[in-house]
Amino acid sequence: MPESATERRGEVLGRTRRLFVRYSFAFALMLAIALLIANLVKTPNFGWTFELASLAPLALAAMASTPSIISGGGGFDLSISPLMALVNIVFVFYLAPHGLGGVLGVIIVLVLGALVGTVNGLLIILARVPPIVATLATYFILIGIDLQIASSPRELQGSTWISHLAGTVWHIPGALFTIPVPLLIWFLLSRIPYRSMLYAVGSNDATSFASGVNVARVRVAAYALGGLFAAIGGLALTGLVNSAAGTTASSYTLVAIASVALGGTSLWGGRGGLFGSLIGAITIYLLQTLLSSFQVSSSWLEVVYGIALLVAVCFGGLVTRRRVAPA
Amino acid sequence: MSAVETPTAGDRRRGAWRWLAHQQTRFPLLQLVVLAGAYVYGTATLPGLSSWLSIKTILILGSLACLVSVGQTMLILMGGFDLSVAGFTVLGTMVLVLPGTWHVSFGVSVLIIVAFAAFVGGIAGWICHRLDLSPLIVTLGTGGIALGVAQVIVGSFAFANGTGAPVWLEGLTSPVTKSFGVSIPPVVVITVVVTALMAVFLHRTVVGRRLLATGANRGAADLSLVKTRRIWTGSFAFSAVMSALFGVVLAGYSGSVDLSIGDPYLFLSVTAVFVGGTVFGGPGDYTRTVVGALFLEVLSTVLIGHGVGAAAQQILYGVILLLAVTAYGRGARLRDRI
Repeated sequence: MPESATERRGEVLGRTRRLFVRYSFAFALMLAIALLIANLVKTPNFGWTFELASLAPLALAAMASTPSIISGGGGFDLSISPLMALVNIVFVFYLAPHGLGGVLGVIIVLVLGALVGTVNGLLIILARVPPIVATLATYFILIGIDLQIASSPRELQGSTWISHLAGTVWHIPGALFTIPVPLLIWFLLSRIPYRSMLYAVGSNDATSFASGVNVARVRVAAYALGGLFAAIGGLALTGLVNSAAGTTASSYTLVAIASVALGGTSLWGGRGGLFGSLIGAITIYLLQTLLSSFQVSSSWLEVVYGIALLVAVCFGGLVTRRRVAPA
Repeated sequence: MSAVETPTAGDRRRGAWRWLAHQQTRFPLLQLVVLAGAYVYGTATLPGLSSWLSIKTILILGSLACLVSVGQTMLILMGGFDLSVAGFTVLGTMVLVLPGTWHVSFGVSVLIIVAFAAFVGGIAGWICHRLDLSPLIVTLGTGGIALGVAQVIVGSFAFANGTGAPVWLEGLTSPVTKSFGVSIPPVVVITVVVTALMAVFLHRTVVGRRLLATGANRGAADLSLVKTRRIWTGSFAFSAVMSALFGVVLAGYSGSVDLSIGDPYLFLSVTAVFVGGTVFGGPGDYTRTVVGALFLEVLSTVLIGHGVGAAAQQILYGVILLLAVTAYGRGARLRDRI
């Protein structure tokens, strides 16, 4: 029996919709590819090494914001950006000048990042306050600490390897040693039950709790993971700017959350992933470079960026709309 | 008869304590005590602080903090959040630039900006409700749009043609201006009026009660035939308009155009709301926000007077926010939600 044209179209639409539901970053990916092509056409000598290096802090900030958002309960971590600045400042002011600019220093800052993340998680779990308010408080506290230590900017001294993270390591762009690290950790986490528990908690914490998941521990671990990724971001930032200043501590706060949303991660938790956030960050970064290469429209940047963000989240909302439970 | 009926001293103390705690849930008692304490400490240690001029200066700063939190209070009461405060505030300060660029009068520029803010804010609320999106991310987008439009306006502006703020606008926030012949800055009077209006609106009007009902439980409000989508659209539009109007006042206060002028006010508005003791979805009140905002401004004035730097102030803000929200905003235990 021949199908009618409308039925066929409905089926195609349904399949497309399922594709977008399955791969929530698909929209951002298409946008990113289009923007990349536009960038390459506009500036044929697109400097991959440099562009990747300046993308790295944003990409890592976005990925650092992701686990806590997936863990649900409105898990925005506003303290990611000041934490990255803190890592950068601690490295430049304390570790590198005292000969700890090597492996030991890296371990110290990674532990520091994870610790701050853990404190965030514990605050949210123990005090039972909304994550956005708890992390706003730590945001203030971390910015205060940043300003206290680095009231005046300082150049990086005593560590030379780190600038390779923004340059090249044996012909390979240095950013490829920082950006994939969270993705690798994320992949390894899928080998143990943690990641499925994280998604379960994010989808419905009460149900997960009733099923015997230790929701508190999963959530704290999500914030700790975010802190760890932020520390990696702080190292990438140090490599990029080769200095530290307390005044720029909050520059990645909102754009990181925008990247996560653009990358298809649901801000209600339980959906999305690290890869999407990376794609989201790439999209925002490419949008910025493209618009600034058309010099005239530099002041339109914010408008285009705001509209793109709205369109992306509306698209995501339309495709993955939560179905109303039958009464 | 038995010991049950004659309360012991311990019982009475506990009773008094419970009475105080009960009053605290109705009125921000503790915040008022801390506010008074901070001020008394300030006047005791800083000689100039009790002069009428410095009181007026604190009141002006406090009024600005109150005015920027009007929309934020309403949205948080309704279960929303507004990250577009900074963007619309900057857009509001464009009243200094618009008359010179588009050759319109001052009043018309205010109208244009308010209309734009209402439109974009309304869209944000509608989208959030219709598509069940997080208000955070949507207002982040609309705030970006507002800031971008401000940037476009400034970008096309030849500064030579710039008209400064009208004298009356500067006078609003100047400590030497009198209102109705009394030596109180007009912005303080405006804040008092706004506070009274908000109190009446939230608790004594149908729309206000519907708004509180929407915040308490959107599903239940829907079933009670409250048109929650209209409430969301309306309050987001209101919040954007209030941010823009605050920008107009701020333009008179600062007298110059600066695209990053709104940034500190965004988180100030959130902090004032939570320190006052309003929580997501209520209960709460704008009066509480006023107390919270005044407390923050008195505190920072006293701290600056004692030479405490910006860094320590930020840290203290964070600690206060944490304490306040731990006292008020604690959610239900997970095991109680099953």
